[in-house]
Amino acid sequence: MDFDFSPAEQAFADEVDAWLVENHDPVVMDHHRENFTQLSDTPERRAFMKKLAAKGWLGMSWPKEYGGKEIEGVYEYILNEALSKHAAPQIGKGVGIIGKTLIRHGSDKLKQEFLPKVLDADVEFAVGYSEPAAGSDAANMQLKAEKVEGGYLLNGQKMWTTSAHFADWYWVGARTDPDKPRHDGLSLFLIPMDHPGLEVQSLPTIGKDTTNQVFFENVFVPDEYLVGKRGRGFHMISEALDLERFTMFTLSPIANRTEVLVDWVKKAKRDDAPLKDDPNVRRTIAQIVTDTAVAKGLSTRFVCAAKSGGKPPTIESSQYKLFTTSLSQRVCKDALDIQGHEGTLMEGQEDAPILGRFEGAYRATMNETVGGGSSEIQKNIIARRHLGLPKNF
Amino acid sequence: MDLDLTEEQQMVIDMTRGMLAEHSTTAIVRDMEDDPKGYPEALWKQMSELGLNGLLIPEAYGGGGQTLLEGAFVYEELGRAMAPTPHFVSCVMSAGVLLEAGSEDQKQAWLGSEDQKQAWLGRIANGDAILTPAWLEPQRGFGEAGIAISATADGYGFKLNCRKRLVAYASSAARLIVLARTKAGVDLFLVDPRAKGIQMQQLLSQGREAQYQIDFADVKVAAADRIGAPGSGWKTWHKVMLQGVTLLAAQAIGGAARCLEETVVYANQRVQFDKPLGAFQALAHYMADASTRIDGGRVLVHEAAWNHAQGRSIERFGPMAKLFCCETYRETTRVCAQIWGGVAFTIEYDQQMFFRRAKALQLSWWDGPYLEELIAKDVLDK
Ligand SMILES: Cc1cc2nc3c(=O)[nH]c(=O)nc-3n(C[C@H](O)[C@H](O)[C@H](O)COP(=O)(O)OP(=O)(O)OC[C@H]3O[C@@H](n4cnc5c(N)ncnc54)[C@H](O)[C@@H]3O)c2cc1C
Repeated sequence: MDFDFSPAEQAFADEVDAWLVENHDPVVMDHHRENFTQLSDTPERRAFMKKLAAKGWLGMSWPKEYGGKEIEGVYEYILNEALSKHAAPQIGKGVGIIGKTLIRHGSDKLKQEFLPKVLDADVEFAVGYSEPAAGSDAANMQLKAEKVEGGYLLNGQKMWTTSAHFADWYWVGARTDPDKPRHDGLSLFLIPMDHPGLEVQSLPTIGKDTTNQVFFENVFVPDEYLVGKRGRGFHMISEALDLERFTMFTLSPIANRTEVLVDWVKKAKRDDAPLKDDPNVRRTIAQIVTDTAVAKGLSTRFVCAAKSGGKPPTIESSQYKLFTTSLSQRVCKDALDIQGHEGTLMEGQEDAPILGRFEGAYRATMNETVGGGSSEIQKNIIARRHLGLPKNF
Repeated sequence: MDLDLTEEQQMVIDMTRGMLAEHSTTAIVRDMEDDPKGYPEALWKQMSELGLNGLLIPEAYGGGGQTLLEGAFVYEELGRAMAPTPHFVSCVMSAGVLLEAGSEDQKQAWLGSEDQKQAWLGRIANGDAILTPAWLEPQRGFGEAGIAISATADGYGFKLNCRKRLVAYASSAARLIVLARTKAGVDLFLVDPRAKGIQMQQLLSQGREAQYQIDFADVKVAAADRIGAPGSGWKTWHKVMLQGVTLLAAQAIGGAARCLEETVVYANQRVQFDKPLGAFQALAHYMADASTRIDGGRVLVHEAAWNHAQGRSIERFGPMAKLFCCETYRETTRVCAQIWGGVAFTIEYDQQMFFRRAKALQLSWWDGPYLEELIAKDVLDK
């Protein structure tokens, strides 16, 4: 048993951290964007990702023949935790889901077209799985992909495509075979985001950022841009989730909020007395710090399970996400309770505590227990696969 | 970073679990409830023979010299089996006090402490002697201010007058380790429970272990029976408690894990509305939550114990582990009782044994508010 990084891992963590301090840029690294900091959605952020690419930090775990370094996934975990700790954009969809799926299932053409661009941070993707009728039940996608001469014609709608308003390419699941059992009738496509048949409509959220709905009208996709085999879409989507355990929901932003809150409590006063002497505040802080340590333990658990190879750490990931996302919301709630009436002041207002950080984070974290597999879905997974309870829901 | 166990660690776990399956069945555990002695001789003998009683005692004193991490593995098993043993009071707390006293500053240390170690540690390790701390006082808490009773100077020694509560396994003790206040501060004294002026009375409590209220009336204690330098008692006690609560956190995880496992089996068998209970999502989600807390709590315990084994401070980790794991045990037994339905309320079913022990453990050896304050102090006041 060893709770420390190996010397090599620690050296890498230190190197990344030092580099991020050196390259600190408040325009790129904005804690107030909370979970949306992971997106590379502005020219400054894209330039930042280019610098990261130049360091050779994109696609480190990929096979050498595709430009990777074949090093352990734990290094990508270390990198993403460091990036999110500094509120910098993260390596995500391109290196993870899309890159890894193309490496395993993509044609030579698609590999040649996209993999180098991912490594050089020259492409941003949007992921389109969710639809009005396909949320938690992703296999229920209805977007129609009809086989036509030389390709497919797509018609229908996607919901919640977060990066659609700035991405270059769209990674889309659609139903090619409506007559087959529903898990076997889906296929994956790559579509240029500026395709004239796509209409992106912004869907503003109560966080600082927007997501989108996307409408498809006779979007023609040539055969070469079908990813892998027709009908294998859902299986590739599931496999990608299993392959991509190291760069999932990061802990650092939550640990960071806990730290920021503690630092603030240490200095704050109420009615001229130190706030930290309030027994309720002390109790709340003790609980938050303890639960944050447990979240770290659960993250150590899935990282270790993922490191050991073998079967994907599905249970460990589900437990981690379930516990950590609800903790994330609780930290924000408790922070506002501690701040009292001033906690309601928004960023930019005079005397907003911690520059309004928690007023914003309280809103921004609302979706964490829903997106990326809701808490209930995680509990279903744990109940069935870990505890062996009947498959009934 | 890895959470793998070594072969030896796995062996310790398997061996302990195997032994407890025979010597700490729920029938035996039930038999021991409210028993004045409170532990089965056969179990105690087995624990000694397998080296569990000496596990954490250095080899130089006849123990196994293992770290707190091995201790945590064993305590999870003891918790699973609800094993009724004086191991914690004797082999962890009392042995810990003897070992820790004077270890920081040898020059200051009272010269006799090596003799005390020689006299008792070997016998604790082989199970011959049971020692137990006499700590808590009526209407007083877990902190240093909780030690109100005074040991007044009396010739070459001291005279004790006080009442102590929740002294576990006192009826079998060869010595009590009494926390008392002298002019120098809090001191620890080795006291023979058969000494003149001592009266014991068993009090029944939620965990139903053998525990006693002890009255001391003008009990004479020799100066040589003070453990460690004058006034160093609280520091010693606190340090040993940090280790103790880490092990109790492991014990809590063991109890919670077994309680949940048995509940899952039941939920797969019991049918209502033509479905096994586990097919009701409301119940399945309780169990998923409990399993998440149990698995998270276990890593926290291991991290605490591992840090101690690395020579790092567990001033924060130890209390965090007990706080989280005891609440997890309590909450797990609450939802499990809900899942079992009415039968959980009967004495016949074993669920009630976990249910009571979980709450009793949470309230003993530093309760929630005391732990929270320790953590807050470490986080906010440094
Ligand atoms: C800001 C934001 C960004 C997003 N970004 C993307 C993106 O880029 N790409 C993308 O494809 N998707 C994205 N999503 C979609 C996200 O993955 C879905 O919101 C999520 O899968 C849940 O689906 P839903 O919102 O339709 O809720 P529903 O599935 O309708 O769920 C509603 C409630 O029912 C519960 N529920 C559902 N099924 C069960 C069950 N079997 N058992 C018990 N309870 C159940 C859920 O837990 C939830 O509480 C995003 C969502 C948001 C809000």
